[in-house]
Amino acid sequence: MRVVHYINQFFAGVGGEDSAAVRPERRDGATGPGRRLDALLGEEHSVVATVFCGDDVAASDPDAIEQILQLIASTGADMVLAGPAFGSGRYGIACARVASAAHAAGLLALAAMAPENPGVGEAAAVPVIESGDTARQMGPSLERLATAARELAAGKPAASLDGLIATTRRVNRFSDHTSAARAVDLVLARLAGDRAATEIPLPDFGHVVPAGPIDDPATALIALVSEGAVVPAGNPDRLESARAHKWLRYPLQGRDSMAAGEYQSVHGGFSTVAANADPNRILPLDAARELERAGRIGKVYDEYLVTAGNGTAVGDAARFGAEWAAELKRAGVRAAILTST
Amino acid sequence: MHHVSDVALGGATRFQDGRLTLNVEELRRIFDDPALASVAISVVHPGESARIVKVLDAVEPRAKPRDADGIFPGFVSPADSHSGSDTHVLRGAAVVTAGYLPRAQEALADMSGPAAALCFLASTHNVVVEFVPASGADWADVAAALRVGALRLANALATAAVETAADEVEDLTAPASPPAEAAGDRSLPRIGAITNLQTQGAFKDVYVRGRSLAGSPPLAVDAGEIEDGIVVSGQYGHPALKNPTFLHQNNPIVAALRARDGVDLRFAGLVLSPEPVEQAAKETTARQAAELCRDLGWDAAIVTKEGGGNADSDVSLKMDALEAAGVTAVGLFAEMAGADGSGPPVVAPPERATAMVSTGNYDQRLQLPAVDRALGGSRFDLLDTDASAAMEVPTAVVYAALSPLGWGRLTASADG
Repeated sequence: MRVVHYINQFFAGVGGEDSAAVRPERRDGATGPGRRLDALLGEEHSVVATVFCGDDVAASDPDAIEQILQLIASTGADMVLAGPAFGSGRYGIACARVASAAHAAGLLALAAMAPENPGVGEAAAVPVIESGDTARQMGPSLERLATAARELAAGKPAASLDGLIATTRRVNRFSDHTSAARAVDLVLARLAGDRAATEIPLPDFGHVVPAGPIDDPATALIALVSEGAVVPAGNPDRLESARAHKWLRYPLQGRDSMAAGEYQSVHGGFSTVAANADPNRILPLDAARELERAGRIGKVYDEYLVTAGNGTAVGDAARFGAEWAAELKRAGVRAAILTST
Repeated sequence: MHHVSDVALGGATRFQDGRLTLNVEELRRIFDDPALASVAISVVHPGESARIVKVLDAVEPRAKPRDADGIFPGFVSPADSHSGSDTHVLRGAAVVTAGYLPRAQEALADMSGPAAALCFLASTHNVVVEFVPASGADWADVAAALRVGALRLANALATAAVETAADEVEDLTAPASPPAEAAGDRSLPRIGAITNLQTQGAFKDVYVRGRSLAGSPPLAVDAGEIEDGIVVSGQYGHPALKNPTFLHQNNPIVAALRARDGVDLRFAGLVLSPEPVEQAAKETTARQAAELCRDLGWDAAIVTKEGGGNADSDVSLKMDALEAAGVTAVGLFAEMAGADGSGPPVVAPPERATAMVSTGNYDQRLQLPAVDRALGGSRFDLLDTDASAAMEVPTAVVYAALSPLGWGRLTASADG
C-alpha cells in the first residue's frame, strides 16, 4: 500500500517550539522516524510521502487539517499513519484530526500516541495505537504502529488491532442494589482485606512537565485566560455555566479594564455577585494594563480565552488546554495567566 | 408510617384511608410572607405524563403528636428542641418547591418515561408549590420564605394523619454504643456514615437545626434526629448531585447500615460535616472528621458528598484521612467521564483509600419524551425550549439522579 506519514515540525527536522507555526508541507518519501517506519512496514507497503505541520497550526487552525488532507490526497495514498505523538497534547490532537479526516475521506488511517494524550478523545472512528510517553520510546512505539498498520492493511478489524488503545467507555446501567447498599458491601469487602475492591478504577491523568520561567517579562507577550466564565454582558455566544463543551475568545484591544455591566460571569459554581460588580477580579485586565504601562510586562495579548470550569469533564478540559496552548503559541504568547475560580 | 395512595385537591385538609385531601386556600396561607407575592399549589402523581422543572427542594411530610414538637428544628420548632415522641410519616407523598432562583441550576423530574427510574419523586404523589416573588424582594428572602413554607406545609400535611392509625410502625435502631475497652463485642465491625453537607454560601447551603453548617467542625449527631428533619437543604446547584431534604430525612446510607445492624455489622452512628470552600479548611475538616470517627470507635466509615468535582475532594481527603487514622473508608462518587464515557471518571480521587462506589456518569445523555404538562415553569432555559417538549439532556440535570447519598440504583461500569 501507498502510505503517507503525518508528523509534526519537530520530527520533520524543521525545528522545535520556535517553528510550531509552520504551515502544512509535503515531502516525497520518508523523513525522520518515517524511515524506520518504512522499514518496519515491510516489502508490501511503502511510505511514499511525509506530510508535516507545526503543532500550533494543526491543533488550532481549522483550515490546516483540510490543507493537510489535500496534500495527502495529492500522493494517491491508500493509508495514513499519524505520529507517534507520545504525550504531546497538541501533536496528539493534530494526529487524531488528520487521521480522522483521512478516514472520513475513505483512506485507511491510524494514529499513535500515549493513552492519556487528549488526542485519544479526538480520534472519533480512527483506531489509536499506543505509544510511549516520550520520544525515548520511539523504537517500540514505531514497531507497534507498523504492526497495527500491516494488520489493518491485511483486513483485520480495527477493534482487534494489536496495540490498540482500548477506549474504555463508562456506561450507565441499573444495579440490582442501591448505591447505599453497595457501599455497605464494599466497606465489608475492604474490611475483610480486599484492598483492590472498587467500582471506579483510579484515573490516570498523565503528566505535564511545567514550562520554565520566561527570561524577560518586560518584552514578553502575556495572555489572560480564565475558566471563570467572564463573557460580554448577555452571554451572546451562550457559554454553558456548567459542563462546558466549548471555549470562546473575546478581544481586549483598546480596553483598559473589564467594565461592570459590559461583562459578566455566567459560571454556575459560585455566587457571581462580586464577579459581576468587578469582572476584573476574574480576568485581571486592570492590573495587567498597569503592569504593561509600567513596563513590567511587554504587552497584554489582544484576546482572552475563556470557558466555564464547573463540572467540566476532564477529557474536555484537557482538550481545551491543548487548544489554548496551540492558539497562544501560534500568536507568539510567552506566558499565560490562568485565573481559576 | 401512613401509606399515601392518593392526593387530591379540594375539601378539608385531611387524611383518611390512604387518601390525602388538600384545602388549597388554607394551605396557601402557610406561605404568607413579605417576600412572596403568591404561591400556587398543585398535585402530580406517579406515572403521569408530567414534568417538574426548576425543582428546588423536596420534603417528606412528617409530624409529631403534639404541635411541632421537635419537627424540623430551627425552622418549624425551636432550634434546640429534641423530641422522643413518635414521628408520623406520610410515606408516598412529597412537598416539592419549584421555580426560578438565582444560582439554582435547573433540575427536572419526570413522573413517567425513561427518567422516572432516576428520581425518587417519580414514585411519590407530589404537592408542588410554585411561586411568584414579591416585587423588589431580596432573592435570599424569597428562598428563605419558600424553605420554611415547604417545611410547614409538609408538617401540616402529616399533622392531618396524626390521629389516624399507622399502617406500619418502624422502630429505628439506635447506633451501637462504643464497645467497652475489655468486654466489648468486637465480632461485628462498627460502621458509621459521614454525610458531607454543601456549604458554599447563599443558595448553596445546607442547614442543621436552622443554621448553615459552614465554619463548623464535623459533628456527631443522633441519627434519629435526621428523621425529624434537623438537616434541611438550601442547596440549589448540581441538579443530579443534590441531597434534597427528603433524602436527608431518609438518609439511604444510614438506612442501609441500620438494615444490616446485628447481621454483618453494627451501625456506629452519623457524622455531619461541612464542605469548606478553601483547600486548607477541607484538609483540616477531613482530619477532624477522621479523628472524631476514630475516637467514636468506628472501624469503618462510608463518606458521601453533595455537589460536583470540588466536593469530590472533600470525600477523597476524608477517605485518606480516615485510613491514616486506622478507620477503613468507602466513598460514593458520581462519574464525570464525558458524554461518551471515555474520560477520566473522577476529578479528585483518593490516593490511599481507593474503594469507590459509582452512582453513575453524569455526562451521559438521555432522550426525554414530550409530556402533557409541566410544572415549575413554562421554559427549560438550559436548552431554551418549552418545558414540556421532548429533549436530550445530560443525566446531570435530572433531579437527584446520581444521588450522592446513595438513593439510586444507577451506576456506571466499563463497557465490554
